[in-house]
Amino acid sequence: MEEPEDRLSPICAISKGLIMKNAQTVGAQTAGVSTPPVLELHDVKKSFGGTRALNGVSLSVQPGEVHGLIGENGAGKSTLIKVLCGIVRPDEGVINLAGRAYAPSTPRDAKANGLQVVHQEFNLLPYLSVAENIFIEHLPRNAFGVVKRQEMHAGARAALDAIGLSDIDVRWPVERLGIAHRQLVEVARALMTESRILILDEPTATLTSRETERLFAIVNDLRSRGVSIIFVSHHLDEVFRICDRVTVLRNGETVYSRPIAETSQDDLVRAMVGRKLQQQMASEVVSLARPEEALSLVNFRHPQSPHAEGISLQLHKGEILGIAGLVGSGRTELLRAIAAAELPLSGALHLEGTPVSFRSPRAAINAGIGFVTEDRKEEGLILNMPISANVTLASLSDVSRAGILDKKAEIAVTERLGAELKLKYGGPGKNAATLSGGNQQKVVLAKWLARNPKVLLLDEPTRGVDVGAKAEIYALIRQFAERGLALLIVSSELPELMTLSDRILVMSQHRVVGELSRPEFSEERILQYAYQGEQQQARP
Amino acid sequence: MQALENTQASETAKPSRPSGWSPKMLLRDTGIGLALLLLIVFFSVSTEHFLTANNISNILTQITINLILAVGMTFVILIGGIDLSVGSMLAFCAVVGGTVLTIPDLSVFQAVVLATLAAVGTGVVCGFLNGWISAFWGLPSFIVTLGMLNIARGAALQVTDARTIYSFPPSFNAFGSEMIFGIPVVFLIALVLVAIAWFILSKTVFGRLLYGIGNNEEAVRLAGHSLMFYKVAAFTIAGALVGIAAMVYMARLNIASPIIGIGFELNAIAAVIIGGTSLNGGRGTVIGTLLGACITGVLANGLILFGLSDFMRQMITGVVIILAVIIDKYRERLTGV
Repeated sequence: MEEPEDRLSPICAISKGLIMKNAQTVGAQTAGVSTPPVLELHDVKKSFGGTRALNGVSLSVQPGEVHGLIGENGAGKSTLIKVLCGIVRPDEGVINLAGRAYAPSTPRDAKANGLQVVHQEFNLLPYLSVAENIFIEHLPRNAFGVVKRQEMHAGARAALDAIGLSDIDVRWPVERLGIAHRQLVEVARALMTESRILILDEPTATLTSRETERLFAIVNDLRSRGVSIIFVSHHLDEVFRICDRVTVLRNGETVYSRPIAETSQDDLVRAMVGRKLQQQMASEVVSLARPEEALSLVNFRHPQSPHAEGISLQLHKGEILGIAGLVGSGRTELLRAIAAAELPLSGALHLEGTPVSFRSPRAAINAGIGFVTEDRKEEGLILNMPISANVTLASLSDVSRAGILDKKAEIAVTERLGAELKLKYGGPGKNAATLSGGNQQKVVLAKWLARNPKVLLLDEPTRGVDVGAKAEIYALIRQFAERGLALLIVSSELPELMTLSDRILVMSQHRVVGELSRPEFSEERILQYAYQGEQQQARP
Repeated sequence: MQALENTQASETAKPSRPSGWSPKMLLRDTGIGLALLLLIVFFSVSTEHFLTANNISNILTQITINLILAVGMTFVILIGGIDLSVGSMLAFCAVVGGTVLTIPDLSVFQAVVLATLAAVGTGVVCGFLNGWISAFWGLPSFIVTLGMLNIARGAALQVTDARTIYSFPPSFNAFGSEMIFGIPVVFLIALVLVAIAWFILSKTVFGRLLYGIGNNEEAVRLAGHSLMFYKVAAFTIAGALVGIAAMVYMARLNIASPIIGIGFELNAIAAVIIGGTSLNGGRGTVIGTLLGACITGVLANGLILFGLSDFMRQMITGVVIILAVIIDKYRERLTGV
């Protein structure tokens, strides 16, 4: 009977805390060394197949500490969170929670141990009411199992008021809420259970500055009550504002961990990038760009673009143009709009100087554009069909007569391109699913090469590809450029972009915010542009 | 060619999920064929009358209509759709065809040709609508064809005023029970349709892309193919086959009634599924469908000869459908991917 009231208590405490408003000072004291850490990770490792996602992560979180966790795309932050909340099990390493060994087998288990995650992706049920979403894990029920609606609504009301969402009716279905409000409802849900550790995964990505302030007030209050918070963010300025300590991951390893007072923005960027790569092949590779223009965009707007001016760029024959940017900066959307996978809103696209406008992927392909998508399994390959069928998927008219397939021709094409791309395969009739990631990617490349395109768009061309195959794919991409093919490459791996590209554009918030020529390449510069763009956006 | 390639490498690689024209699919069809053979042997041994020329041709006649419908259904299920309207469409096509067939003053030949055109045309229009509506608005074909199920039935009742059409030309009716070497001609027609469907699905670009769409729609779209065309085409083919099935129905039973064909869609789906075609699309063959239709037919006939009631037969058929899907699931899990 008393249960629901019990559950409301953290919320009430928060509302009090918000009134106190003195959290900042309380948080600072926790930098002291004497208290034992509430969460401690030592040398945690995790591999998926051949790729090492975590390669020795150590982390120590004090009670009542806001701990920033940063790193480039793919540094291992998401995997680490999955380990902590019981979605993924680590291969090696020690995790202690409140002094005891901690090995959650499910998210429910993690919660029972007092560890909560507010995920980046939304886990709300869109057609249920806000109140139902907030109480979904423990709906207040009477003896017959009927939900006590009033109690639930009152509780949800209190929870929303506590985080400053007084303008939202708890009976509304979640689908009526904007993306920022959904994020906050998710925070409210996480606060329903008393937790020792709260992980916020990119919580401000969808929030406006006003809502971010609210969130920070909540964070400060939780800190003052001894809750530890792991704050994952791309926004360094936020890390400096709210965190007591910051840990940097790079390539699945902890490379840096300091109290926030002893670090600087430059230190963090350097830590994220690492020194080792500076020497990279840099300028010894000669650009193969020819004077003729292959593709140009003028104020080109993809469907999600929030800016009227869109994106303008030029790509020459034989040129490899890299596009860098943080996740969500609009890189993939740009490529998809060029390939007409999604139709652009406005702007002009010129192919070899002629203005064109594609109404479908077919039109773009016929005009000479190939598009290697980011998600090979969902969009690039038909895994359960033979390699030969995948290779010829975009050029079926070349291997058929009057609509009847010429299987000899099909196999010949597959074998020719297979040899050219050094494809390792059991035979053209084997299903694409039997191949390794690198060889699958080569099949996708073969599919486009079979059409002899003028422009090839590559989105994360080496995702899920092992190191050896990566080098082969790089060599192939250079070869394509030699032939005069114009290449536009999106990649989250900066060393990859710097190795391949003749020029790099940096995107942020769906805009081009910087351009670097080969002699200017450095990860620091690229990240500086990427983060600057973010901050400029955050200001107004 | 491909067969050679495959056998060369097959020792090393795991068996992967087959997809249509690959020899592995043949193996799977062989498995279903084996099941059919076992059933035939069982009934031959356990009942007196099963393995007689008369009974065999009986079975073949009985499965003909279901087989034709199931061939069309195979196209639809391969692209990941379903067509619940074929039973009603059968009635609609039959009454339209029957009406034309009974127009006075036409020669038998003229009447049959025109009636066939009318019945197939009706099926094509209904099938086209099924496909176009679901592809254009992105609706699940389950819902759209559920709608068509009602529309076609209502239309059949409306145009006939709920009356049965009969007294077709006697020679037309005779054709329905014609035999060649003890095999019903209508069954041979169905076999020809199976052969054509097999050719389309395994030898043409069109067939290749139907499999592709069933497996990964987005990859096919991004490779520059119009999903709309192939989806509409699959449903239209299914509709055309309903028209042919309607003609066969009239030739055999000498009537066209607006209340025929109730539940036929489910028998057709059952034949396709028992034949090893995945309800998720992208996997299966029309040969499997032929075997699936034979299995349901043999089972229906044999169980009654065995002395079971029609009710028991129905229950057992249901069990077989579920078993077929379980076996398929299990096989999928074993072979991975």
